[in-house]
Amino acid sequence: MRKKIISLADDIARKLKILAEEKEDVRQKLAVTAEALRLKAKQLVVTAKEKEDVRQKLAVTAEALRLKAKQLAVTAKEKEDVRQKLEVTAKEKEDVRQKLEVTAKEKEDVRRKLAVTAEALRLKAKQLAVSRETLEEKVLERTKDIAEARAKEEAILASIGDGLAVVDKEGKIMYVNQSFEQMLGLKVKEVIGRSMVEVVPREDQNGAEVQFEERILTQVLSGKKFVADLTNPFYYIRKDKSRFPVSSIVTPVVLGGKIVGAVETFRDITKEKDIDKAKSEFVSLASHQLRTPLSSVNWYAEMLLAGDVGKVTPEQKKYLEEVYRGNQRMVGLVNALLDVSRIELGTFLVEPEPTDIVKLAQVEIGEQKLQIGAKQIQFSSSFEKNIPLILADPKLLHMAVQNLLTNAVKYTPEGGKVRLTIALSDVHVLIKVSDTGYGIPKNQHDKIFTKLFRADNVREKDTEGTGLGLYIVKSIIEHSGGKIWFSSPGKTPLGGESQENPGTAFHVTLPIN
Amino acid sequence: MKEIKNKAKKEKVVLVIEDERPLVEAINTKLEQNGLVVITARTVEQALHYLEDIAAIDAVWLDHYLLGSDNGLDFVAKIKSASSKWKKIPIFVVSNTASSTNVQSYIRLGVKKYYVKAGHRLEGIIKEIKSFLDHPDE
Repeated sequence: MRKKIISLADDIARKLKILAEEKEDVRQKLAVTAEALRLKAKQLVVTAKEKEDVRQKLAVTAEALRLKAKQLAVTAKEKEDVRQKLEVTAKEKEDVRQKLEVTAKEKEDVRRKLAVTAEALRLKAKQLAVSRETLEEKVLERTKDIAEARAKEEAILASIGDGLAVVDKEGKIMYVNQSFEQMLGLKVKEVIGRSMVEVVPREDQNGAEVQFEERILTQVLSGKKFVADLTNPFYYIRKDKSRFPVSSIVTPVVLGGKIVGAVETFRDITKEKDIDKAKSEFVSLASHQLRTPLSSVNWYAEMLLAGDVGKVTPEQKKYLEEVYRGNQRMVGLVNALLDVSRIELGTFLVEPEPTDIVKLAQVEIGEQKLQIGAKQIQFSSSFEKNIPLILADPKLLHMAVQNLLTNAVKYTPEGGKVRLTIALSDVHVLIKVSDTGYGIPKNQHDKIFTKLFRADNVREKDTEGTGLGLYIVKSIIEHSGGKIWFSSPGKTPLGGESQENPGTAFHVTLPIN
Repeated sequence: MKEIKNKAKKEKVVLVIEDERPLVEAINTKLEQNGLVVITARTVEQALHYLEDIAAIDAVWLDHYLLGSDNGLDFVAKIKSASSKWKKIPIFVVSNTASSTNVQSYIRLGVKKYYVKAGHRLEGIIKEIKSFLDHPDE
């Protein structure tokens, strides 16, 4: 049995040695492993640190990514908008493409038609080539004719005696003729293309230059109608600064309903002005010559009647009074003739100013008081309120009203009625002078306003008159832009019209402006 | 002349410049009847000489058309010039000229009044002149 236990103990010692060796191995392995683990732990710490760094970097990156995500979101939105727009554009492109397709189709149709036409044209061209030769000959002929006609027209234009200037719608000179050159001392090439108003200055009598806006040319080109004021003469200035009086007419050139330019013709009226001056002086001198002997007779008769050269018997007085009266009639006639000649020669100086027609009428009535009283005329008048001032020459208006009133009083028998009214009607002033007098015979109505005419009925009644009064009145009224007419029997509210005295009513209208 | 100078002290002197003989005589008679002394001239030249020689002219009666080269307007222009010693003498133009430009010129030059001869009684004109000479400030 000891052998067995020694062997067992050996076994166990062996097994323990083995175990110890194994433990040592394990212990060494564990040591190694521990060492390794320590290393690993160190590494893990490093790794953990690195992980922490990485985590922080990731955090930053995450933040950056969030921002980027936001940007991307915005960008995504923009991209979405653009995408939608692109969609729209794509749609539009599609529409256009479809239209182009249609157009392409139409083009194809047209191309086919053109092909047909081209063929037809080729044929026609052949025919035309033949006619062309004949035509060319004819054209050459015609051109010659036209050139001749043109040359003739130019010669006509060039030789028009009046100055001629044609301007475009801006007033720039397109053509001037020889007379223009001669009258103004300017050459064609100096003025072509330049403004007419600039190149030809215009001034009035007093030397004041007429400004651009006031030039007739400017007004005509802008479509305004221009009425020349004949009492205000103009002068054109020549190149050498001298001037001459001018009468000009400017008319617009209208093409297709539009003003494309204007044509001006003008004349040097120095001679006419001199003649006018001579006429005025003639009238002045003639009136003096006629009136001088009349004044002589007047004053001598006056002195005789006044007894300045001795006593005069009643019979002599009567005769002298006839002489005096006759002479007065002559004076009246000469005055009237002078007025007529001045009206006809146009040398009457008309000076319009705002005139109170009512006041003027009242002054006239005052002047007639004596006559009215002497014939016991029942005179009445009525003036509407607020009659505006009229633009008229007061001394001429005075003459007209005086004439009408004197006539009414003169041609009405004693005790008759005369009435003067002034009323307003839209843009006119209405003056009416009516009477219950001798009237105007119906068959002589048309002659009443003619020179030196006196109706039979008033001549029978031995009334005095020159026969010029109404002619002068009519001239004055019409010159002032008004109208005059009469009715006889006068349709007036005067009443008492009889066969013998049908009465007359004269009507005058005068524009207010 | 001396006589006239003395008379001038009491009676007013009117210089009548008129070339028509019959008219001159009528005017002369009527003026003298009204107590005025009259000197007559037929040309502007003559009138100016009288003005020079006779210092005491109180008024001028002037016609427009006269003998000689000057007319009434020339006379007034000379009288009314700045250097003239006769500027203050009142001028009554009595003429038959019809030209309104002439009338305006006379008035502008400063004449006292303009009469159209054939339209006035002689008596009437003279009465007005006399009235003015008696009351020159009115």
